[in-house]
Amino acid sequence: MLGHLKQALSASIGKKAWMAVSGLLLVGFLVTHLAGNLLYFADDDGSIFNAYAEALSSNPLLPIAELILATLFLAHIALGVRVSMENRAAREVPYHAKAAHGGRTTASRSMMITGLIVLIFLIIHILDFRLDPKAHDDMAGAVQAKLSSGRGALTYGVGVAALGLHLSHAIASAFHTLGLNHPKYDSILQTAGRGLAVVIALGFLAFPIYIYFSGGAA
Amino acid sequence: MKLTLQIWRQPSAEADGNFEIYTVGGVSEDMSFLEMIDQLNRQIVLDGGEPVAFDHDCREGICGMCSMVINGEVHGPIKGTTTCQLHMRSFKDGAKIVIEPFRAKAFPVVKDLAVDRSAFDAIITAGGFITSRTGSAPDGNAILVPKEDADQAMDAAACIGCGGCVAACPNAAAMLFTAAKVTHLGSLPQGQPERRARALSMVQEMDSQGFGNCTNERECEAACPKEISVMTIAQMNRDYLRASIAGDEA
Repeated sequence: MLGHLKQALSASIGKKAWMAVSGLLLVGFLVTHLAGNLLYFADDDGSIFNAYAEALSSNPLLPIAELILATLFLAHIALGVRVSMENRAAREVPYHAKAAHGGRTTASRSMMITGLIVLIFLIIHILDFRLDPKAHDDMAGAVQAKLSSGRGALTYGVGVAALGLHLSHAIASAFHTLGLNHPKYDSILQTAGRGLAVVIALGFLAFPIYIYFSGGAA
Repeated sequence: MKLTLQIWRQPSAEADGNFEIYTVGGVSEDMSFLEMIDQLNRQIVLDGGEPVAFDHDCREGICGMCSMVINGEVHGPIKGTTTCQLHMRSFKDGAKIVIEPFRAKAFPVVKDLAVDRSAFDAIITAGGFITSRTGSAPDGNAILVPKEDADQAMDAAACIGCGGCVAACPNAAAMLFTAAKVTHLGSLPQGQPERRARALSMVQEMDSQGFGNCTNERECEAACPKEISVMTIAQMNRDYLRASIAGDEA
């Protein structure tokens, strides 16, 4: 049993499958996170958004959910770094002349870089809103205070843009890795994957853009 | 035609290599790329030099021996062709052409442009076969094969094992080659008994040969002279994961 699990984690397709599963679960988290955040735009001086934040942080099951999320992130990152290092080692001498003609894109080329930016952004984001006790008294006010500054808006804008670029390659790629692709629906999968990435990125980008330019009057 | 060639020269596997610049004249646009190299080698030999070593055999695009990365493109600029099927009319007179060997840790350079692709043989040995009874030839129509399955198997079987997918992959992964073999045999009734074990053992061997991991960028499909689809990779991932989840042994 353990040997089987170990083999599944050391095999190339096994590692990629775990990366795909953890990544897709994290996309699921992003969609719920965005849905909750959008309550900020309710025209009620942030009271429903604050009530949502309060309901989340006072839920006794929250630590378990956070532990699962942290595990998913760490597994995804650890496997990503390992796969990337193996990939570098697989070609010791680079080509002198370079030409790419397949599906290689800015997004697919920069997965490690965008992943690193998202990680740094995630740490800043957790420090700003999850670990700052003052933020929990008035979440809507804390969001407004953070994103109405140029520096705050820029940090969140860059973090979310990197996330969007990462996802534009990641979502369809994860399905392919899990074997869930076929010539009959490949083009739909590619479009839907990029589409979902754009929706998630634009959804989250709405916050720094709206708050910075409106001065935060929600 | 007169061309300037920048070619990777490496006396042996252990020796360091470097690029050498050659000028070759009298090239006809009807020559294949390999015939152009033959012309260059004739010139080098007449000058008392060591000819450029390169892999070649059938020179009609079916053996999988010829290789080379030409101006950064595996098998050159024309889609769906091997280097031997590439003609000099695809280049302009006076052009400068950079010629490199396939680059992958699992494909060490033997000499100049010739690389050792034995790693592919090891992958085939691990599971690229079916079990069949010996004796007299079986009746051709004894086992019926649906047309769709036959087409899928035939498309995958077009792989000539040249290694262009590995050379074009940003990670030097051998997924397209292995997936073509897994899909070819796994699509047919005769390949079913070993289907799951085959996916496990061929992937295990592929990993142990030092190839990289797939990042789904489809450079392999674009470079493949036989235009094998990356959908074979999705098929192999399915077979592999199904076998893994079922707890099968390689």
